[in-house]
Amino acid sequence: MYGGGYLFEKTSPDLLKEEDQEKLAAFEARIDRGEKIEPHDWMPKLYRQQLIRMIEQHAHSEIIGALPEGTWITRAPGFKRKLGLMAKVQDEVGHAQLLYSAAETLGKSREQMIDDLINGRSKYSNIFNYPAYTWADSCFISWLVDAGAIVNQVANSKGSYGPYCRALERICIEESFHLKFGHHCVTYLATGTPRQRQMMQEALNRWWYPMLMFFGPPDKISAHTEILMRWKVKILSNDETRQQWLDMYVPKIWELGLTIPDDKLRKNEETGKWEFTQPDWEEFKQVINGNGPCNKERLAVRRMAEKRGEWVRRAILVKASNKKYVTPLA
Amino acid sequence: MDKILDPRLQRLTLINEPLPAKPELDQLPTFEVFVKSRAARPWRHEGSLHASTLEMAFVFAKEQYSRRGTCLGIWVIATHDLFVTDYADNQTDIYDQFTEAPGCSGEAWEVFHMYKRGTQHTHAGQVSAPTPQAALACARNALERPRPVLNAWVGAAGKFRKSTPEEEAMWQTTPEKLFREAIDYKTNEKIKAFKATQS
Repeated sequence: MYGGGYLFEKTSPDLLKEEDQEKLAAFEARIDRGEKIEPHDWMPKLYRQQLIRMIEQHAHSEIIGALPEGTWITRAPGFKRKLGLMAKVQDEVGHAQLLYSAAETLGKSREQMIDDLINGRSKYSNIFNYPAYTWADSCFISWLVDAGAIVNQVANSKGSYGPYCRALERICIEESFHLKFGHHCVTYLATGTPRQRQMMQEALNRWWYPMLMFFGPPDKISAHTEILMRWKVKILSNDETRQQWLDMYVPKIWELGLTIPDDKLRKNEETGKWEFTQPDWEEFKQVINGNGPCNKERLAVRRMAEKRGEWVRRAILVKASNKKYVTPLA
Repeated sequence: MDKILDPRLQRLTLINEPLPAKPELDQLPTFEVFVKSRAARPWRHEGSLHASTLEMAFVFAKEQYSRRGTCLGIWVIATHDLFVTDYADNQTDIYDQFTEAPGCSGEAWEVFHMYKRGTQHTHAGQVSAPTPQAALACARNALERPRPVLNAWVGAAGKFRKSTPEEEAMWQTTPEKLFREAIDYKTNEKIKAFKATQS
């Protein structure tokens, strides 16, 4: 699961001047024709760099995203919920593997990506730096955060890089169960006893603004994003994905008799766009820079996993030492 | 650090400082995975993974690529055991580069084709030849191709870990695991009943 609001490196379009102009033109013509770019094709440095960054952030988000939900497996209400949540968390970790492989085809090794994550050099989706206090928080993530991720992933699966598109298609198919599972969990709380209902409402109140932030800050069209869109690295703008999500899910939230903690939220029938109170973008900046409620905990958990798994890696590496690492093919 | 909410971690010591740099070799070899989803479909490349041995790669492949949907079998091969051609330009056939067939006998090779960018490689068939390049020259006439081939992969048949017919039993219970299916989570009735109480 992952939202928009990717953090692209600020690179200057001047970088393109250094590229072989003939190859660049052929590359852009290929994308214009709707053809995919494959790992061994020529590609501009900027394209490679930004794709690695985006796919890597997506992969980390799957791994870190499994943490708040993963802790609820043992406490999920009933065997069926435990089975469902366990399968979902397993899927998320599997998605990370698919995405790491897609990023690897561009030349960055998986070990390097994991190293960058646990040492705080890479980003991941901001929303997972918020805590899941109750079962209802976990239900919110399963339904609505995944819904946001699907909006984004469906868009990105129409992008230009073959291996990323193929990974996303696979991921989207698996996510349809997550969405239904999450909706089922929320429905049962929202239509349950008054206490269950209250618990769900409180979780919704906590997550509403982080959820709006999930799609990233409002768009400022720069020369930089213009290139990324032309190359089909970025498909929809942050505002477009946010609007799509509001359009699809606000009615479904209301249908369950839940309220949204924003008096200004309404659909402007003339423009067809949702109007809402902006989340605190200063908070967004703070959280993304490591000062959110759970940033340190999330990385500490990954470090612990790395440390505790070290002896296993060492043990199996002996067997592997006769085989040289090569970049995966597709 | 704020109060940790994870019940497992409250009992453990977390590591806050950066870990020492890992040795350079802390990187497992990669493998490519092919799956046959139904009898009428060809073996298709599903993706890659990391493992220390071919056997371990096979076990991981089962988890990673056939966890959610059942299949008839899995093939796994080390990435470096696959011979990979260039990508042909549009409208040209990669087989134009492999014309001289030096006698089609010797080792058995599995040949995979990619016909269109963005799609996955599928199994085209098996040929006998002394080298992977020769295998392609032999495949040029021996294997069917509905249209020009953009990219081909060739691997010695003996280098694959292929699931055996007896091993098909490991997918038998997959369709029973309905808790992994969207269809098992119906909410309509519940919502309808709830709405009725509200109005």
